[in-house]
Amino acid sequence: MFTNKQINLETLPAIDDVALKPISKQYLKIIILNRLLFYGLILSALIFAKFKVMHSNFHLIFVYLFSTVVLFCILNLVGSILAFKKRKFAIREYDVIYSKGLLVNSVSVVPISRIQHLEISRSWIARRFNLATLKIFTAGESGIDLRIAGLNYSEAKQINDFLSNRVNGTD
Amino acid sequence: MERIDFSQPSRQSSKGILVIFALNTFKFIRRYFVIFLALGLSVSKDESFYFLTTTSLTLIIIGVFLLILVLAILKYLNFKFHLDKDQFYLSSGIINKDTAIIPKSKIQNVYIKQNFIQQLINVVSLTIETAGDDKAEIEINALSRSSALELKKQLFIKRQVTDIDLVDETSQSSVFFKISMWRLFLEGISQNHIKSFLVIVSFVFGLYNEFKNYLEDLGISDHVQASVNIESGTIINVVLANMFVVVLAVLGSMLFSVIHTFVSNFNLEVIENEDTIEINKGLFNKLSLILVPEKIQNIIIKTNRLKQSLGLHTLSIKQAMVNKKQQKNFKIVALEKHQVAHLIEKVFILYNGSGQYHKPEVYYKRMLTFRSISIGAFINIPAFFIFGNSFWMVNIIMIPWIALFVHFTYKKASYQITDKYLTITSGFIDRVRNISELQKIQSVQLKQSIFQKRKKIATIHIATASDKVKILCVTEENAKSIVDYLLFKVES
Repeated sequence: MFTNKQINLETLPAIDDVALKPISKQYLKIIILNRLLFYGLILSALIFAKFKVMHSNFHLIFVYLFSTVVLFCILNLVGSILAFKKRKFAIREYDVIYSKGLLVNSVSVVPISRIQHLEISRSWIARRFNLATLKIFTAGESGIDLRIAGLNYSEAKQINDFLSNRVNGTD
Repeated sequence: MERIDFSQPSRQSSKGILVIFALNTFKFIRRYFVIFLALGLSVSKDESFYFLTTTSLTLIIIGVFLLILVLAILKYLNFKFHLDKDQFYLSSGIINKDTAIIPKSKIQNVYIKQNFIQQLINVVSLTIETAGDDKAEIEINALSRSSALELKKQLFIKRQVTDIDLVDETSQSSVFFKISMWRLFLEGISQNHIKSFLVIVSFVFGLYNEFKNYLEDLGISDHVQASVNIESGTIINVVLANMFVVVLAVLGSMLFSVIHTFVSNFNLEVIENEDTIEINKGLFNKLSLILVPEKIQNIIIKTNRLKQSLGLHTLSIKQAMVNKKQQKNFKIVALEKHQVAHLIEKVFILYNGSGQYHKPEVYYKRMLTFRSISIGAFINIPAFFIFGNSFWMVNIIMIPWIALFVHFTYKKASYQITDKYLTITSGFIDRVRNISELQKIQSVQLKQSIFQKRKKIATIHIATASDKVKILCVTEENAKSIVDYLLFKVES
């Protein structure tokens, strides 16, 4: 029979009560490496240009360009280190939670029953640190897809197995 | 009506060759139009192409057409489809053979379309769409109307029905809504004319760019220049000429809107079947599409002050993964208020519109003001380059505009969460109401910038398979309990 009882909002499981788990510390190294590589490329391109470009104006602004890039690099690094602490995740009985972001903090929740497929991807650097990225896809192009980077490979596999079992309903 | 058997692999109507041929020719000409034109012009100027005599040119053209014709015939011969109890099969391809199999349960919608050529030779095309990506759709170019209708019906018959004939008796349909000429005209006249104006301007501009060189060659611009020069004798003449241009632009945009509305919504008809909704419309491109309520993700109702007083509401229906062009067709214009309510109830059975609407916090106003002022400040920069030192004049228009924008956007923003449905209203000039079913929510996200964190304000993003809606600027506490509630609804 169809019933329609009133729900007591106080008794619902609250998202505030969840203890979010930080991702692996090793991943910070990957972020820093990536950033350094990116800015390193820009800086070396600038230095290369200094020797090749003959235009005198370029040499005048070279110092400013160089220091701007270095400044950006430092700001970006500090930003990513601070934001790193905000990257946390949790798996509940019926959903996956991932929170990130320093300036704009977001907490995304994907119900396990809405997961379309899962993917574990590992970049070359991530394999060196034995890390993995778990991607969780939902239906629809506008959907919020979760991408939890910097999990220990074994942990990622464990979560992947758990979730796919739940999705397939074998558990 | 005699039942048409789709269980054996069959080809489309032989008129299909003609349709495929026409379509391919059209595509071919459209793709190489500019090249043809350039070629034609340089030939007429007698430069370097003198080896092309009239005969060899004709031969080349005939050859190209023959090639397209042969391809069309081959395509037709290799295009076979059939249907069994719960799957649709289609094999196609001249060199690369493709076989597509679609389970009936995964079909999102079926359209019947009829473009100009198809109207001439009296066939229709049938498109089957699934929730996959854009390319996964299947189009059968030429079927007789009766067999298309029959195929459509059989595609929607529930699986595992052995005695199909029984179903025919029980399914009954009634025309629920049929648009009148007068309402169609009202709809056209109350369109957003600025949009039409922009379309016209970009079209003219695009044409001008394309043919700039040719126009210069022909010396048209000199003619125009000359005729303008004669008129710009006195100040009154200049003002009159400008007025004339403005009036012309307004009239042109209005005419464009009305014609556009007429062409795409001519003979709009909504038919209620037992468990599907059918939309028929179009003047040159006749279109018929079927919607299955279970597959509908969101409903969006749009109106504005003017339209509301005329009793015009636009209802658009969103399904998962339908491409943008097709999405436009899922629109029913010029509905009365009670008709809207009826259609919503057809799709979302338990929706009754009652329940309290909540407003976002006043912080939303501050956020809107801040955002529009930063955009406004940015606009000053190009204005400086266009108008020189009197650039600040722009702000005289912009500041009241921002004030109005903030006021009305805040006034129209609200949300309502009931036992089954989530309704969000928004808009500045338009009033937009977005309804989605809680059961169909895919994921929920709580967002908070550092400024919002200080004020304990948060925004909730809610994604369904077709759309993403936002509940803007509610208190942190409220936001968290809303998220908890939505998750509870989805997961239980």
